Amino acid sequence: MKYAFFQGCNIPIRIQQYATSTEAVLNKFGIELEVVPEFNCCGYPVRNVDEKAYILPSVRNMAIAEKKGLDILVICNCCFASLQKAKHVLEHNDGLKKEINDLLAQEDLKYQGTVQIQHYLTVFHEEIGTEKIQSLIVNTFKDLNIAVIHGCHILRPREITGFDDSFVPRITEDLMKATGANSLDWRGKMECCGAALAGINDDLSQNLLKEKIDGAKQAGAAFITPVCSYCHLQFDTMQKTINSGNSSEPLLPVVLYPQLLGLCLGIDEKLLGIEQNSTIDPVDIKRLKDVLSPPVKKKKRKKAKIAS
Amino acid sequence: MNFNILLGFAIIVCLVGLFIRFSIWFSQGLRPAAQTISPVQRLTAGIQAVFSTLFSAKLLLVLKSTLFDLFLQKRIFEKSTLRWTTHTLIFTGFILLLFMHALSPVLSDSLFSDYQPTLNPFLFLRNLFGIMVLVGLGLAIYRRISQKAQRLKSSTSDWAALVFIAVIILSGMLLEGAKMSSITTFQGMVEEYADLDDTERNALEAYWVKENGLRSPNIVKPVDPALVAEGMEISNDSCMDCHAPNSSAFASKTLSPITVPFSSSLGDAATVSFFWYLHILACLSFLAWIPFSKMFHILAAPVSLIIKGVTGDQELKDPVSIFNNQMIGLSACTHCGSCSVECSSSMFYESFQNDFILPSEKVQYLKKIAAGKENNPEVLKQMQQGLYVCTSCDRCTTVCPSGINLKEIFVSARYALLAKGTPETSMLSHFSFPLALARNFVDDHIKALKKVTDIFKQSFPHLADIDAPVTLDNTQKFDNSSFNGCFSCQRCTNICPVVRSYDNPGEALGLLPHQIMFSLGIGNIDLATGAQMIWSCSTCYLCQEHCPNEVELCDIFYSLKNRAISKIEAGANS
Repeated sequence: MKYAFFQGCNIPIRIQQYATSTEAVLNKFGIELEVVPEFNCCGYPVRNVDEKAYILPSVRNMAIAEKKGLDILVICNCCFASLQKAKHVLEHNDGLKKEINDLLAQEDLKYQGTVQIQHYLTVFHEEIGTEKIQSLIVNTFKDLNIAVIHGCHILRPREITGFDDSFVPRITEDLMKATGANSLDWRGKMECCGAALAGINDDLSQNLLKEKIDGAKQAGAAFITPVCSYCHLQFDTMQKTINSGNSSEPLLPVVLYPQLLGLCLGIDEKLLGIEQNSTIDPVDIKRLKDVLSPPVKKKKRKKAKIAS
Repeated sequence: MNFNILLGFAIIVCLVGLFIRFSIWFSQGLRPAAQTISPVQRLTAGIQAVFSTLFSAKLLLVLKSTLFDLFLQKRIFEKSTLRWTTHTLIFTGFILLLFMHALSPVLSDSLFSDYQPTLNPFLFLRNLFGIMVLVGLGLAIYRRISQKAQRLKSSTSDWAALVFIAVIILSGMLLEGAKMSSITTFQGMVEEYADLDDTERNALEAYWVKENGLRSPNIVKPVDPALVAEGMEISNDSCMDCHAPNSSAFASKTLSPITVPFSSSLGDAATVSFFWYLHILACLSFLAWIPFSKMFHILAAPVSLIIKGVTGDQELKDPVSIFNNQMIGLSACTHCGSCSVECSSSMFYESFQNDFILPSEKVQYLKKIAAGKENNPEVLKQMQQGLYVCTSCDRCTTVCPSGINLKEIFVSARYALLAKGTPETSMLSHFSFPLALARNFVDDHIKALKKVTDIFKQSFPHLADIDAPVTLDNTQKFDNSSFNGCFSCQRCTNICPVVRSYDNPGEALGLLPHQIMFSLGIGNIDLATGAQMIWSCSTCYLCQEHCPNEVELCDIFYSLKNRAISKIEAGANS
């Protein structure tokens, strides 16, 4: 299986490790990703200004993928929601579809609506499946408390994103379980990181972020795992800015899901770019590796099953 | 006019132009706060930087950059084979012609002991280099036309540069072609180099008419083969030591018939001198034009690329280096449009129909703004929006073949314009996110943001300011009618993480989410649009997801934000 890899604007320049670790892990399961240089911004940044200007870029991206005959795999939640939103809007608005297609025709592009938009977690969960993941896992974590923060735009509005149960999401639960890590039940798990307000209302944005950092720490998280690239930048970059005046307060280190899974699959940590997360230090990485060990019990059970 | 006078004049114009362009490197800049750095300080810093680089280990980086970035054009090669081929053909062909042909009295004569422009390989090579340039020009034209749909903008000066070079090469070839067919030129050469009687002369002429493209009134076609054979012998004895067959100059010989109509009407000698003047004037005007056009990149782009090679991706810190680097960068732009073709904001360009959203177009006008020459408030407003509607993906900086630090120039210019300009409504968008993350110009950002939030506050009514009872009179239409489902259960307000962040949310947010739905319910859209709540919404969609009656609160907030911005913009433009 091959996907057009939609990285958006933040990942290629600010979070390369998210792209490289995702690709490294997906390759293990025979899934290929094609980087498409022609992709442009998903449109998300302009949504406050003009809804039509927000829809157009995603339609162009989908048209490019359709021309290549590939479905799109997305990492960033906001890109994911924008693509899904554009798809949804055009399903119900033929006038706009024609208007946009007329514009795209100058580049010899046409949006039909056949392309599927997949979040990479869905690909792990549905296409690969936890069983197959477990079959390739060589190590699992033990006693590792992770606070997952889903990010809003992957869960809500559920009619648009169609990702998971927006009240009781289980994709991340199942996937975390596969690595042996303990996904904490904590208050901020499905709430806002504050990114959408950064640069518009910084105090409020940072309050929302602090609330999540404190909440995760109080719940006993050793690491935080953001799904969305905006959440990642809030926790991995903005956290340091907030913390700069108060160095006695320890940082809550960020580790991404493909990085955790990659370690379990025996992929080299350098390849996963774990040290590129700016909130993680060598001690944290050692801590991660110390709780990693072969999944003894599960293997035995599997063997017993096969034998019977 | 004497060639030397023309040459001297062209050189003087070129030098004056170069002086102007170089002085701009050390006198202009883009920065929000007025900085008092004198040109002398900047020049000194520039010279210091050059010396400290050349006399340190960084010299290796300079050499590496010179080889890979300048001569091998690695940055273009990595992006497009077509563009690399185009540039390499034009660059190599032109430079070799310059050295071997234009500067032959200085270079070729001293390098090659047996140099003669009429001998091979020189005769052949001149044509080959010319053809290389012409093929390169053809590819460049093809690229500019075929990539128009990908938002590759071509200005008059881009076409002018291509035409200029084409005229130089073609006029040179036509000059050579005119000489080939000119009887006057032939007779002059025979006079000078051969001692022949009339019969021999006639035979030689017959041979040159047959084989070398000479046009002579004395030779009647078909030419007698015996005469040609005799002429060939004479030619071998008297001419070929210094003159290879004209077929070696394959391009000029092919083009030679074009000159025939000219020589028929003007006479052959006048035609030769016409093409000579055309060629010389084209070359000299081009020389004089270099500093005043994008061809200045011949000098500026190498400097820019070497600076990029030495500094890498690290950000410059001191304002002096930043200014110098900005201006070197702006002058190195070739308007090749690679940045615009790859710009992630390209679709916003289509939506807003603002050329300045494309990086290549920004650069052209930023030169004027840096020089203080652009004062039209409308253009400045367009530019301000163009600078702000940017996803900060940095692709332009990564792709630029001249190694210009576009990212830095655009960020500085953005805040320079915001400091002076009108309130910029796109600041209220997520384009602000990467800026908040990077934390450059923090104070300038806050100041500019205040301008736009103030205008927002002034533009719409607030609940506290309304004296008369709020009535149902208002019947403005609103596109999303889901608010009709609201029965004021306040679930939205109760679950909102923003409302929860304030001790007195009513005061901080103007209206709470359920109150905004209520305002829409009574048809007072302006009241809803004026609520601070819409700009404080974190867009987390919790309200919408939890609403028991499917009111699309978060989507409605987006619509209100769109409405607020278009109303403010309409007010600013009226």
